[in-house]
Amino acid sequence: MAVLPMKRLQLCALKKNRKAILELLQRRGAVEVQDTAEDEVFTHADMSQARSIFQKNAALANQALDVLARFAPEQKPLLSMLEGRQEMTLEEYTAFQDRQDETLKVAYRLQALDKRVAEQRSEIPRMQAQVEELTPWLELDVPMRHPGTHATDSFVGALPGEWTLEGIYTELKSRAESVSAVDIEIVSASREQTCLFVTATKSEAQQAEDALREMGFARPAHVTHRVPADKKRLLEERIEKLQAKIDADVAEIHSLAEHRQDLKLLFDFYAMREEKYGVIGKLMQSKRTFVLTGYIAARDIPALETELTAHFDVALDFFEPAPDEDVPVALKNGPLAAPVEGVVASYSLPGRGEVDPTSVMAVFYYVLFGMMLSDAGYGLIMVAACSFVLLKCKNIESGLKKSMQMFLYCGISTTFWGVMFGGFFGDAVGVIASTFFHSDLTFKALWFEPVNEPMRLLVFSFLLGIIHLFVGLGMKFYQLCREGKVKDAVYDVVFWYMLVGGAVVYLLTMQMITDMMGLSFTLSPTVGTVAAVVAGLGALGIIAFSGRDSRNPFKRLLKGLYGVYGVTSYLSDILSYSRLLALGLATGVIATVFNKMGTMLGGGVGGAILFTVVFLIGHTLNIGINLLGAYVHTNRLQFVEFFGKFYEGGGRGFSPFGAHTKYFKFKEEK
Amino acid sequence: MSSLGIAFALLGAALAALLAGIGSAIGVGMAGEAAAGAITEEPGRFGKVLILQLLPGTQGIYGLLIAFITLTQIGIMGGSAEMSLAKGLLYFCACLPMGFVGLWSAIRQARASVASIGMFCKRPETFGKAIILPAMVETYAILALLISILSIFGIGGLNI
Repeated sequence: MAVLPMKRLQLCALKKNRKAILELLQRRGAVEVQDTAEDEVFTHADMSQARSIFQKNAALANQALDVLARFAPEQKPLLSMLEGRQEMTLEEYTAFQDRQDETLKVAYRLQALDKRVAEQRSEIPRMQAQVEELTPWLELDVPMRHPGTHATDSFVGALPGEWTLEGIYTELKSRAESVSAVDIEIVSASREQTCLFVTATKSEAQQAEDALREMGFARPAHVTHRVPADKKRLLEERIEKLQAKIDADVAEIHSLAEHRQDLKLLFDFYAMREEKYGVIGKLMQSKRTFVLTGYIAARDIPALETELTAHFDVALDFFEPAPDEDVPVALKNGPLAAPVEGVVASYSLPGRGEVDPTSVMAVFYYVLFGMMLSDAGYGLIMVAACSFVLLKCKNIESGLKKSMQMFLYCGISTTFWGVMFGGFFGDAVGVIASTFFHSDLTFKALWFEPVNEPMRLLVFSFLLGIIHLFVGLGMKFYQLCREGKVKDAVYDVVFWYMLVGGAVVYLLTMQMITDMMGLSFTLSPTVGTVAAVVAGLGALGIIAFSGRDSRNPFKRLLKGLYGVYGVTSYLSDILSYSRLLALGLATGVIATVFNKMGTMLGGGVGGAILFTVVFLIGHTLNIGINLLGAYVHTNRLQFVEFFGKFYEGGGRGFSPFGAHTKYFKFKEEK
Repeated sequence: MSSLGIAFALLGAALAALLAGIGSAIGVGMAGEAAAGAITEEPGRFGKVLILQLLPGTQGIYGLLIAFITLTQIGIMGGSAEMSLAKGLLYFCACLPMGFVGLWSAIRQARASVASIGMFCKRPETFGKAIILPAMVETYAILALLISILSIFGIGGLNI
């Protein structure tokens, strides 16, 4: 349970060792490098140009991988998405640096091939369209653009609709009486169009065409110098050749797939160099030396110090950060609490001087989650799935591993509450036993069944809520005491304990309340009096002190009264825990609905088949919906009700200079 | 006259499923449109955006739940369907919170979801917060669910 103590680090070394030192730091990933201001001696080097080249090359490698993924997809086992990055030794990495240029060429080649294939592929439909256009003209045995003879002109074109030769002549005659020497040949006729080859004497050709135009005649868009059948053969040959070229290019892409690993490495290589050069840009450099400043977790200091001093001449200094410095935050927790670090981080990391709430939160997180899902069957599925992944994928990334562990613990808690409340896939045990085996076997609740006694669970939820809130207040007390503000701790925490605690106890002395909640006891009036006095004192304390910042007594009183008004927020906070009951019931009742639907055909083979199908689909759905619900609402109870009492956050995450790669990670030398 | 009791009870159950279901259908639809846009830009977001889309879907399920326990309590799913008019009206009233709150909260939650999807697209690291904002709205659906459940179970024990 802690925020890792951070130290400020200053490293001064010779420039000739710069590359080696930075590479070592990058592999260790323990130092966050800080940007510092320039002065007369030390200046920054401008690395933006180099970085943009690296970025470009990384993007190129990425593109090449994308091309390979499209043309020659990798066969991946089902669980591979859970697997982390591959491990790589330093030797493998050094060996790759020799192949780097060659791999870059492969990347360029892949990019070029991809572009060419795309162009060629778009060419083919264009030619096919041309072939399509030629089809009605195939019968024509002279070139489409016929030069004519000494005395005649010839042209081709189409009339809309189906025409007979006679019909055309008659129509033509009626439109242009003077035209006499025209010869029309129908090349092809279909319902859409009639294709014509028209020959006329030079003097009448124009007139004939005009007359035909009035009938809707139009010349085709593409007219070739060749005989249509020849042209078609030519086009088809070209398509075939193009296809062969595409096939060759695709084959080449396939043959380049063996470089996939190298391309991945190339991407990582440039991503790392880009990161490294980003750091170089932040360094203070003189002619022969450089200075690096940053933060390091105190626990990493000895290892790094011995390693650096063993290999290089360096001056290393570690300072305690100044109190007002913006120190980055890293969390360190035990095995049970570490998995929920991500939840804390998704709210906000602890701010300056704040306590890490993770370990306290973790306990409640698991308990609340379990109560909301509260089904032993679902819990066991979660446990099985998470342990399977954790055992099967050793190489899993740490973030994913933590989530898996979190859901594993949540699953254990879910199983526990399921046993307490008698939920195993809803009422599946009882339903199956009575429908198929005619026995009255049921999965008995160890404690009680919420469906039968909802008030009891509601009271328990409120009780859990009060404990949760009071622990939150306790955290505030601890936090204030740690900062030496004992008085504030009394004013802001103890008085609230008195007011809220007293009020709750006082309520329990009222017959009406205990009856409503179904409690078997009512506290005696004496206890009530004491509780009322305690609550009253708490309220007075709050009125007197919550406006203590104001000097004006009237203003202070008003602020104090407003402070007491805050008790309503406690009321709504406590009521908010009723969602434990509601979501717990929702899981159980929806499961029951599905079980009931499954038994609609009764016993027997048909009934068993229907039951199995409904059971599988229904419970998968229910598990999905309620898992989401439990996750979201557990987070809400933590973020709003619990953190609202003491936690502010606002810390900046520790982001050390390291190898932030996508495909490979360095194997740690032992 | 006594036959009207069961009719009102069933009307209540139907309203709970109807209104909450309509709300969730509208809500999930709205969020789905936003989600589709987000996925167009970056297909890798699918898993997380889907979660945000599903958030307004719970009201429909709560409505179903209320409808179902009402059906079992009033004997429609087997058993006798004898009921006084007063009792039938009580069941009807008990179902109303879930129906109405379900309808409005699902739509409002969907609007928060849509905004959260936008936020998640611009700043993917805020996913945790993006989930919480729509979930705040759901609180009221849960409270309505609670009151409906408690009422329905309570009415079963009444002797009128």
